[in-house]
Amino acid sequence: MELYLTKNFKKPKSQTLDTYLKNGGYKAAQKALKKMKPLEIIEEVKKSGLRGRGGAGFPTGLKWSFMPQGNKTPKYIGCNADESEPGTFKDRQILESEPHQLIEGLVIGAYAMGVKACYIYVRGEYVEQARTLQKAIDEAYKKNYLGENIFKSGFECDIYVHRGAGAYICGEETGLMESVEGKKGQPRKKPPFPAGFGLWGYPTTINNVETFAQVPHIINNGANWFKKIGTEKSAGNTIFGISGHVKKPGTYELPMGYNLKDLIYKVAGGIRNDNELKAVIPGGSSTKVLPASMVDVKMDHDSLMQAGTSLGTGAVIVMDHTACMVRVGIILSHFYRHESCGQCTNCREGTAWLHQILVGIENGQGKMEDIDLLLDIAGKMEASTICALSDAAAWPVQGLVKHFREEFEMHIKKGKCTCPESFEV
Amino acid sequence: MPTFTINGKKIKVEDGKTILQAAVSNGVEIPHFCFHPHLSIDGSCRMCLVEVEKIPKLTIACNTPVTDGMVVQTETEKVLEARKAVMEFLLLNHPLDCPICDQAGECRLQKYTFEHGIPHSRFRENKKPGRKRFKIGPRVIFDEERCILCRRCVRFCREVSKTNELAVFSRGDKSIIDTYPGRPLDNKYSINTVDICPVGALTSVDFRFQVRVWFLEETNSVCPGCSNNCSIRICHRRGKIYRLLPRKNMEVNKVWMCDEGRNTYKPVGDNHRLTVPLVLKGNKLEEVSWDEAFKVMAEGLEKGKKGDFIGMGSPHATNEECYLFKKLSLEILKGKSVDFEAPTWEADDFLIKKENAANPEGARRIGIKAKDGLSVKKTIEEINEGKLKKMYIVGNEIIRDAETKKDILLSLSKLNFLVAQDTHLTDLCSVANVVFPSATFAEKEGTFTNINGRVQKINMAVPPPGEARSDLEIFGEAAKAMGRPFDSVEPTMIMEEISKNVKGFKKVSYDKLGDTGIKISAK
Repeated sequence: MELYLTKNFKKPKSQTLDTYLKNGGYKAAQKALKKMKPLEIIEEVKKSGLRGRGGAGFPTGLKWSFMPQGNKTPKYIGCNADESEPGTFKDRQILESEPHQLIEGLVIGAYAMGVKACYIYVRGEYVEQARTLQKAIDEAYKKNYLGENIFKSGFECDIYVHRGAGAYICGEETGLMESVEGKKGQPRKKPPFPAGFGLWGYPTTINNVETFAQVPHIINNGANWFKKIGTEKSAGNTIFGISGHVKKPGTYELPMGYNLKDLIYKVAGGIRNDNELKAVIPGGSSTKVLPASMVDVKMDHDSLMQAGTSLGTGAVIVMDHTACMVRVGIILSHFYRHESCGQCTNCREGTAWLHQILVGIENGQGKMEDIDLLLDIAGKMEASTICALSDAAAWPVQGLVKHFREEFEMHIKKGKCTCPESFEV
Repeated sequence: MPTFTINGKKIKVEDGKTILQAAVSNGVEIPHFCFHPHLSIDGSCRMCLVEVEKIPKLTIACNTPVTDGMVVQTETEKVLEARKAVMEFLLLNHPLDCPICDQAGECRLQKYTFEHGIPHSRFRENKKPGRKRFKIGPRVIFDEERCILCRRCVRFCREVSKTNELAVFSRGDKSIIDTYPGRPLDNKYSINTVDICPVGALTSVDFRFQVRVWFLEETNSVCPGCSNNCSIRICHRRGKIYRLLPRKNMEVNKVWMCDEGRNTYKPVGDNHRLTVPLVLKGNKLEEVSWDEAFKVMAEGLEKGKKGDFIGMGSPHATNEECYLFKKLSLEILKGKSVDFEAPTWEADDFLIKKENAANPEGARRIGIKAKDGLSVKKTIEEINEGKLKKMYIVGNEIIRDAETKKDILLSLSKLNFLVAQDTHLTDLCSVANVVFPSATFAEKEGTFTNINGRVQKINMAVPPPGEARSDLEIFGEAAKAMGRPFDSVEPTMIMEEISKNVKGFKKVSYDKLGDTGIKISAK
């Protein structure tokens, strides 16, 4: 298994430009700017099969190709470093350990799409990471890897760091744009789409940190090299973040399609105290939970979709037998209730209602029909709103009820939690 | 021009129209809350979700442009289910207080609940409490519990009044509409937010709890508040007016009107109205019959020399009244007319125009406010000099200015004979020999000409009080008493004369005015 994203992360001063250059940094940018035409780069990214690492898995090259050619108007890149999906902490590793990887990816992307200004939207809580990133950007400016006439190619590009203020919804690309513009973070209705009407009304492409970080490697090694890694439809390595009741939580770079069971038991060292595995959330808090019986599954977009869930951000949350699924539901639904922007009826009201019903079940006020009511509400929240937060709030509840219905019934019958040593909410 | 199919019907649509716009203009109803044709698209209420072929998810009709060959279904099971869901969500925390809510009867939430909702609630949790009867501005009351967060009011203050008082604060189910600190909803157009609020969250301080809306009748009219002449509906019941609402007229006011204009109904029903003709007997005005009043008038006006009479019309009078009064003053009474100024106030760049009267433009065009007439100042001088001895004043414009009022009244008291025709008892009556009680804009038929030359019709919503009569009838009787009756005092007949005799009015006739009026040609 070849590491390329994280192979330098543990090296001393990996975040500095010197170390990055020693390890072959900015060669890809130089190659792209000097030897490749913008459209060639987009073609190469398309060919590589790279899919967005922010959760939705949209083909990156295709996204880039939506941007209008020419420079009639300003165009922008937004880099999504909001990383607000609970369970996700992979972009943080990149920002901390090798921010130049991201900067180089941005320069290449900017050149490919004819963009002169990139905004990196950094999660508000990432205070240190934002500082590290800014230092790296300053270094890059000094060496003229950013600014005017980069590599004497005539191409100019600026990068600005914009720090968020702690709202999940600002990780949604149009909410992010509103936030960058200084407005309340609320997703925009579509159409218009960002590639036509983005930041300040100009064409904009938004990609995740890891997505951009993949790009220099594709340029250096070619699309064919990248395609061979991972699975047919989910190419490349990705950084899985595994947390919860495992012995070795953390981030691990692995090829797409890596087996979830192996990730838990081989890579992350198995369950704490060798407890019994109960459930796994495979891709961040919005993805549907998998019961222990279903964890022998490949971690790629298609395999997980077949298993009734999704890859999301590759943030694996592992739960052992002590985890009460009703309480998990309360925690997750509270999060979405708190983070809903409140624009769309179904999401604003639905997130609150789901949470209230779950709390009712927890407190012994639940009725049997509540279980189907949860499913019904979740169903009505799906695919009915401006952005996907409503869906993200519905899916975990659907997953929990689907796979752990008896546990919900038991709660309602007994009027209390019967799980061993369960945590408090 | 794309052609698309909606519920099986093929329709050609203008470029750039959304599904909702196309549906509305073709008689297909798609329920919606947040969409308003004169505000930006919000897309948040999710009530207008429809099924579009080849799009897997339901799509909001308000924000989806029609494309050629698009196939839209608005009544499939999937769509109906989605509407039911939105209705259920909206009603979760709604107080369901229709019986005591002033919006009942004209409430979208209520209407759609009947049409698309489910008749019971599955919500067992406690409803979210909110601020009740909160005075969000001097003329608007806010009930937070009824608010469905459609943000029409927010967009109105941002986009139309451009005053930006309102915003949504907090997020998720804690979202609330509120004003920015220290900036109450106090702009010249604030009551429009009440009109566009689809629920009972925003209600009018003036109108709330006065009457149930389903008892109200509506009569189309024109706001007499300023020379913009916003198209309005007069809402009334049993001879009493309860409110004025803006009426759509893209050429004049779109769908808006100012707060001040909404007050113009108030004088109609107040207790200073003149209801009986009055005649000065000794030093007291006494109530008399119309016959006696006209007899006294004729006797008074017949005395004296040629050329000592002057008539003063009103910028509040209709085109027809201006025309007939001009004939009465100049042709029958052989006098002059006063070149008066309409009262003014502060204009803005939206609806409020400088001249604070219903028809100064019409008065100018028709010539009752004649350029060759005497100015008010000159009129008073000539009265003081004894050159003018008789006068007929319609309205009370002449004493509006508090500074000059006393002197003018003193001068008018020197006249040998003064006829005052007015809707209200004012100080002017105290110096008159005869007082004719007349009708307000809401009690008669006629037309106004706005500042841009648009002629619009007003209609009788309520009868004049007591024995008060329309100005036209009074002029007609006055002419008859002078022995030279007019051919007709019917507004429609007079407009025929106007269109023949007054420059610019050629195209104007009552059957062509329609709901939105006709623009007359330049002078």
